[in-house]
Amino acid sequence: MSSRRGRITDEEINELISKLQALLPESSRSRAASRSSASKLLKETCSYIKSLHREVDDLSDRLSELMSTMDDNSPQAEIIRSLLR
Amino acid sequence: MRGPCNTMAFKQGFLGSLLLSLQSCKATMMSLEERKRAIKSSADIAMATARGVTGARWPRAILSSSSSSSSSPCKTQGKVRRCKNIVRRYHCHKRRRRDGNGTSFFARTASSSSAEVARRLVKKRTRVLRRMIPGGELLDEISLLHEAMDYVVHLHAEVDVLRRVSKALRRRSDASSGRSASSAQLHEGTVQVSGGSELNPC
Repeated sequence: MSSRRGRITDEEINELISKLQALLPESSRSRAASRSSASKLLKETCSYIKSLHREVDDLSDRLSELMSTMDDNSPQAEIIRSLLR
Repeated sequence: MRGPCNTMAFKQGFLGSLLLSLQSCKATMMSLEERKRAIKSSADIAMATARGVTGARWPRAILSSSSSSSSSPCKTQGKVRRCKNIVRRYHCHKRRRRDGNGTSFFARTASSSSAEVARRLVKKRTRVLRRMIPGGELLDEISLLHEAMDYVVHLHAEVDVLRRVSKALRRRSDASSGRSASSAQLHEGTVQVSGGSELNPC
């Protein structure tokens, strides 16, 4: 194992894995809790990141289409900021 | 999780940067394709700047790759990229050799009878994950997992903000174009599934 990180305990690894699993969508959590293999976890993470990327792309495309049909811009900023307060 | 994990502050920072670049996009006339590309890169940069460079590698990776692609091709930047590739390949080789000798932590999680298959699968998937996370090429497995968690959290936030922005813009453009459909719905008082409560602020 890499010497620059020192010895990593199994506990830390399991904690890391469960934290990552908690981030992934519900479907992955219904399977075996702590014993799901590392490769499955990696696969889930990869496909989830891929789907998030795709969603960001779709939303950006929609945004660009909306923007090309808009006239005035400044009121939008106010409305949008109020959404996040 | 390492580093700052304040989602609300991140969302607001992201939105602020995004709005600034959207407004400058609006000023210049562009084709739809150009605008799509501009918005995507604005979103990337807004993500990276809102996150900041503490505790994660991906923001810096995004910023450095976007600056190298936007500026005119420079000899020094080409050299930096080549050096990074060489360093990455060296690290990957080192890792592969080391994993072959000892047992990496991933191999420990598999049963001994299928250890070899599991190891290969994990290595393959780790390679894929590295490509998905900006700057992931240079990280070791543990840091990669930390990085993945951080990146996923912020991607979530980005998607949330982008969704709200397009909803707000669509509502606004519907309202200004004076479509009868939306006003009729308001009069009838029908509760829309997704947007019922959000109609009020407008």
